[in-house]
Amino acid sequence: MSPTDVLNELSKQGIVLPDQQVKIAQIEQNKPFSLHWELRSLLYTGILLVSSGLGLLVYDNFDRIGHGALLTAIAAACVGCFYFVWKYRPEWTHDQTKSRSTFGDYALILACLLFLTLEGYAQYAYNVFGNRYGLVTLLPALLFLPLAYRFDHRGVLGMALTALISWVGVTVRPLELYFKTNFFDQPTVLSAIGLSLVLIALAVVLAKQRIKVHFTYTYLTIAGNLLMVALLGGLFNFDEGRLLFALGLAVACFAFDRYARQQRQTQVPGGAEGSFLFLLMSAVYGYIGITYLFFHYLNPTSDDIYYWYFIVTGIAFVYYLMSQLPKGNRTNESV
Amino acid sequence: MKAYNEQWIHNREVLIQAGKWHRQGLLSDEQMAAARQTYPVEFRQTNGFLEIGLFLFTAVAILACYLLPASIFLSMSANQSVDALFNIGFGIGVAFVGRLLINRRLLYRNGIDNAFVVTLTGFLAFGLNQLLPNGLSVATHCLVTLPLLLLVLWYYGDTLIAFFALATFYAFIFDSLLKVSWGKDALPFVMMAISGVLYAGVRQILKRTVNQVYYTDALNLTQWIALIVLAASGNYFVVRELNGLLLESRPGGPIVTGAPEIALPALFWFLTFAIPAIYLWQGLTKKGPQPPLRMLLILATLGLIAAVMTLHEYTAVVPLNVALTLGGLVLIGIAVFGIRYLSRPKYGFTDAPDDDSPNELFINAATIAAVQAAGSAAHGPKDNLRYGGGNFGGGGSEGNY
Repeated sequence: MSPTDVLNELSKQGIVLPDQQVKIAQIEQNKPFSLHWELRSLLYTGILLVSSGLGLLVYDNFDRIGHGALLTAIAAACVGCFYFVWKYRPEWTHDQTKSRSTFGDYALILACLLFLTLEGYAQYAYNVFGNRYGLVTLLPALLFLPLAYRFDHRGVLGMALTALISWVGVTVRPLELYFKTNFFDQPTVLSAIGLSLVLIALAVVLAKQRIKVHFTYTYLTIAGNLLMVALLGGLFNFDEGRLLFALGLAVACFAFDRYARQQRQTQVPGGAEGSFLFLLMSAVYGYIGITYLFFHYLNPTSDDIYYWYFIVTGIAFVYYLMSQLPKGNRTNESV
Repeated sequence: MKAYNEQWIHNREVLIQAGKWHRQGLLSDEQMAAARQTYPVEFRQTNGFLEIGLFLFTAVAILACYLLPASIFLSMSANQSVDALFNIGFGIGVAFVGRLLINRRLLYRNGIDNAFVVTLTGFLAFGLNQLLPNGLSVATHCLVTLPLLLLVLWYYGDTLIAFFALATFYAFIFDSLLKVSWGKDALPFVMMAISGVLYAGVRQILKRTVNQVYYTDALNLTQWIALIVLAASGNYFVVRELNGLLLESRPGGPIVTGAPEIALPALFWFLTFAIPAIYLWQGLTKKGPQPPLRMLLILATLGLIAAVMTLHEYTAVVPLNVALTLGGLVLIGIAVFGIRYLSRPKYGFTDAPDDDSPNELFINAATIAAVQAAGSAAHGPKDNLRYGGGNFGGGGSEGNY
């Protein structure tokens, strides 16, 4: 259904006046086609390709003539990007701001990725950090965190948090969260829980202080997933503390659920839609935990009990999530 | 009579467009309120995240409901057609319950109804194929299932079912072509021709039935897939590697290492670049805010990137690292040039964001991509003596050091 059809309908119903119809039709006719996100996706892809290409290039040409020049070039590009970002820096405020250049955000990402390449190379070639591997990941975290705040960049914040998480000893990448993470190790689980609690507390305090409130979502998404996965890992793997982990999971799910509802009522711009993610997280992680506990402790002998369990809980969760759907019909939502 | 209230879907479409004009200040608040009065929509509101959860939990409940009687019933019966009838019967049961829920709870793509549609189609298709005698070809199974899928698609207009129907359709063509002696050689051409016809046909349908919005999403998906298959069937890499795989899988055939050169290489090299180029040309010249415009431009870009990657795969003028760096620089260059060039609207294109842009979603995706890329660079030192084992950067390059 094209805008013209809608316009004709509205005018037939008398909602749009004839001269208004002509005006809107003309605006629609002359409206340019937006390539905004297409161009930015292209830019983003290009940055990822360049940074991985350069990373490969440095290693492939290790110990060969010219790799010094290559490193110099990368370092120069990195510094250049940082200079560009600084030159077009936004005013420092506690609210959401934007770089004064369209390319500021992208230059910052590129600079950070190039920095990682250089840092990795420095360790590889010169063993700069020796055996203090913690430093290798702590350094980017310490660098990126202030950068994210100064230049107001959620992507860099995400990178900083990831580096921080690796530093504490849990390697987390969104796509490999469930495959590579080692949660058989009790200190790992406990430190992951500790770190995520610290991050969540930090996010809450900063949000209360109204410092970069839009960062809260990034903090809570990353730290929340880490917390839930760590709690589940503890629940699965450690017999002695199982009930404690179960209790922690229950509290975490409850807290995230409460938070999601609260967000929806406060109507923070953009927060209402996203807050459902926390609802989904607590439902799914909670369900996994409950299911595990159910079968671990009841250990039913008959298959029927399995089926009944899934039927009853499935319907119950559907009812619960349904009741959380926004009231009213979908046309009132801002599309 | 279809599954969802067609009038509401129509009204919803009108209100979405009216809402855009309202936000631009072209319609007054009173006019918007009048539009809401005139075009009521009673569907329940929804949210992307909750849809995922609802889909999951509904599917769990339905599958458990199926397994509970099935585990008893199927272990007792030894007759395959009785099992088939049981499955079909269960599918029909799911359809009835789903219909009841859709009407009672005013569902429209809330996740729950999607789960019902997918599971009922699964049960019906499974039962139907169980009725067939054993040893039939894949093509026959696809041919039998396709009308069922189309029926479900007609009733619900569901996008997932549209996808399954298309997959079944293409599988049917693919498998039946391999059965005949000339089929393998003709495969790329037949695929291209069929996809082209499919795309053109859907375009016509969309043009003729402008006021029909029930199937818009399904038809748009068909266009996407038809164009993707069209470009892929002409791509040199796809044709050559697929040909190599088919040679290998043939019993008693010669043992081949690597895919051998195909017939008519020049033609396929030409098509590899020509098809995306045609998309680009079509996208740039066809004016107007038609949805195909965005689709053509995106697919043209992806197709051209794929074409360059194909070229790199077989000629390898430069090593991978240089290719990635240069390719990335070229992409950055195009994007920067495009953004600067279109900072003021030119030739009907602009860089300013508009209503159709997926704002939040894109930002979240970008954050994840950044984390993914950085994570690969930042992890790994624990297991290795020096700094190694990690791989640098995402973007499809996975190299270990």
